[in-house]
Amino acid sequence: MSSTGKIVSIHSFRGGTGKSNTTANLAAQVALAGKRVGVVDTDIQSPGIHVLFGLDESKMGKTMNDFLHDKATIREIGLPIHELVGGAEGLSKLKNAHIWLFPSSIKGRDISQILKEGIDFNKLNEGLQTTITEFDLDYLFIDTHPGLNEETLLSIATSDILIIILRPDNQDLQGTSVTVDIARSLDVPNLLLMVNKALPKYDPVEIKKGIEEQFGAPVAGVLPLSFDIADNASSDLFSLRYPDHPWSQELRKVARAVLSLE
Amino acid sequence: MTTDVELIEQLKNIAIFSGLSDEALAAIAQHASKRKVAAGDVLMRKGDPGDSLFLIHEGWLKIVTVDSKGDELILNKCGPGEAIGEMALLDRGPRSAGAVALEDGEVLELSRATFENILDHRPDVALGIIRKYSTRLRFATTYIERAIDWAQKIAEGDYSFIDQSQSLVNAAGDDDSKAAQLLSAFFTMVRKVKEREDTLKRQLEKLTFEIDQTRRKQEFEEITSTEFYSNLKEQAKTLRLKRVQK
Repeated sequence: MSSTGKIVSIHSFRGGTGKSNTTANLAAQVALAGKRVGVVDTDIQSPGIHVLFGLDESKMGKTMNDFLHDKATIREIGLPIHELVGGAEGLSKLKNAHIWLFPSSIKGRDISQILKEGIDFNKLNEGLQTTITEFDLDYLFIDTHPGLNEETLLSIATSDILIIILRPDNQDLQGTSVTVDIARSLDVPNLLLMVNKALPKYDPVEIKKGIEEQFGAPVAGVLPLSFDIADNASSDLFSLRYPDHPWSQELRKVARAVLSLE
Repeated sequence: MTTDVELIEQLKNIAIFSGLSDEALAAIAQHASKRKVAAGDVLMRKGDPGDSLFLIHEGWLKIVTVDSKGDELILNKCGPGEAIGEMALLDRGPRSAGAVALEDGEVLELSRATFENILDHRPDVALGIIRKYSTRLRFATTYIERAIDWAQKIAEGDYSFIDQSQSLVNAAGDDDSKAAQLLSAFFTMVRKVKEREDTLKRQLEKLTFEIDQTRRKQEFEEITSTEFYSNLKEQAKTLRLKRVQK
């Protein structure tokens, strides 16, 4: 019997939408809701989600790259974030949760090998299913690379839930329209949109309404642009450290939307 | 008991002494007198002429003033290693707040008379203090000039400096001077003002979303017309059927 864990891909058409930060915060919130959560970093061209979880390169041994090339088992790769988090005020709340990070390789050579050889769909899918079964995960989050290259298409194709993050501007909207069409063409069962970095001068209700009308898909949250997040940099997980901040409140709406999907 | 080394370290933390050599600080320590205090003792009263500095050895003090109704208002609490009333050594202004012992303890008192006597014999101490104040003043001037510049920009509705000034404000955070704190508070205020202004503007600006449908179709076809994509679509379909069956 295969596990029933869900694969949740997080994607954005362009860089700079705050995708990795959102993925890390979302995964943490779902873990705090009592779910067993994994986070895969396939954004191999700019790895960095580990930093958000307070891990440095020295803690990483084998990576997803080794796993996908049969050089390691998935057990050797999963890093138990709940055991590794230090004293950071926000991150330490994960101590009683169950959340693992599956890092991709940070070394340039490994990255170029993956890009050159590509990854086969069945292989990736098998890998993700093994990850879910081995760690008995309820949710496996995938931080994908921006744009629609082959790796990203593979992640989207294998997803149960696709979350597209966009800023409320016409360039992001244009790119998102293509991703939405692709997701439908690949029969992704659940599609959620999330708006990030919304300028305070626009009404979030209007943004939600406008975008939902354009795409016929739900906008699970409209997260405000906030200097406070830039201040926090990557020293701690923002929504855990500042749970009452408007950004965190809106992010939890997205987490609840993910949890509500059957 | 506090050793001389510890005492010198504590004196060094007092802003006006921070530029002095250990030897000069030892000379100051020698002339200070220890004094026991009991809970409730008043060390200084607001408005009294200030004539000495207190360095807390043991116990805690509360720094108090009175509010408009005449009730006591605690401004701060100070404990071992902290100094109060340091400005009294240099000027003859009245105490800006009162200080009352919260518990039994011990303080080190340095009177202005004693201090002035040290200065008579130690021009190096006077020079060290002047240098320190000169540096602080220089920094303070920089921060104040910056605040004036920002104030002018805000008046013109130009908030563009916010993005470029974060690092400056962060750096100022390490400086304990009031001017640095002013700059930091000023910066926070500007952001809040801008946020409120943006909220008000929200009603006026309607966001219009436009998608170029021709381009959308074209880009979709570019991606989906590849062999890679048709294989992927087929594989994904099989996979989803399998998942449903499970």
